[in-house]
Amino acid sequence: MEIKSSENASFQRVYKEVFPVLMRVAYHVTYNLDVSEDIVQESFIRFYEKNIDFVSVDEAKYWLIRVTKNLAINVVKRKSREKAMVDKIKKVPKTPVQNGEDALMNTETREMVRSAVEKLPEKLKSVLILKEYADLNYKQIGVILHISESNVKVRVHRARKMMETMLDRGEMHVS
Amino acid sequence: MCLDDQILNTYLDGELVEPWKTQVEEHLKYCTACSSRFRQLQAVHEMVCSSRLSDEKIDAAQEKILAFMENKYLHKEKKVKFLHRDFTMKTPTIIGIAAAFVLIFIGAFTIQSPSLNDSNVLIPQVVDTQSGNVTQVSSIDSLTTDQILSNLSLEEILSYLDSKGFEVDLKVKSVNPIGESTD
Ligand SMILES: [Zn+2]
Repeated sequence: MEIKSSENASFQRVYKEVFPVLMRVAYHVTYNLDVSEDIVQESFIRFYEKNIDFVSVDEAKYWLIRVTKNLAINVVKRKSREKAMVDKIKKVPKTPVQNGEDALMNTETREMVRSAVEKLPEKLKSVLILKEYADLNYKQIGVILHISESNVKVRVHRARKMMETMLDRGEMHVS
Repeated sequence: MCLDDQILNTYLDGELVEPWKTQVEEHLKYCTACSSRFRQLQAVHEMVCSSRLSDEKIDAAQEKILAFMENKYLHKEKKVKFLHRDFTMKTPTIIGIAAAFVLIFIGAFTIQSPSLNDSNVLIPQVVDTQSGNVTQVSSIDSLTTDQILSNLSLEEILSYLDSKGFEVDLKVKSVNPIGESTD
């Protein structure tokens, strides 16, 4: 089905399907809920205002993920440049653990994963986030990042290797 | 020959094609070193995955931002109608509340709007706080009854602002609904 981004029904359809993925992408790049909400909102505003025709929901989704990922990465870059921004982001309390699913996953583990993801170089970080948090396959990730499928495969492998090393230092045990 | 991490990761992601997929599966059945390595990679993957932002938080944000998008973009042409309908619904509650402190938020751009000059009839004084876009509208002593803001119903104020083309976001603060305890 063709998607016209400024058309009400198209917009609603894409919004419903793509929102959760965009939130996860923005969140795992910035690790800040408020900032992520602003980023995702900005992505949908651009989507609506640009009035673009997409051949499918998936094409619209890839476009939105690309925009969201870039906005989020820019926020992180700006954050490291501007002291004020750093302070603002750091003042926001860390995501509290609430539901049952979260309870199984202890806060320390979450923090370990977070700090490992944050330490990844940008190229590996983007690929890892799209793989682990956006549930995309290699081909889709390649389309979004404009890189080849085999390049995605290599980066997923490298990113996981670095994650393993960093998580290992944080004493991850496998029975 | 044993399997390297990259092949195992590709297999883990369900991206390994035949005939390699079957070969890997066969190998993992008898090689304890590789199957143990595979479980380790799987554990890393699951650990990373399971620390994802919860659906609960996503749902809350999804609703909030959709409301914003509908209000600002999707239903823009129907905004006036929407405002009135929304308002009519809420009026009884607001009227029933004593001493409601009402703030009217007007977009900063409207302060410079030439139509503001016409609004002197209803709003004798608009206190521009200079920074930001929050403006408190207050009544002035030296005015006739119909010029004092508190003598006008919220609906009158709203429809007036509406007719002047203002986008008004109304918020009621510090309110204790009648019949409920004040804790
Ligand atoms: Zn082996």
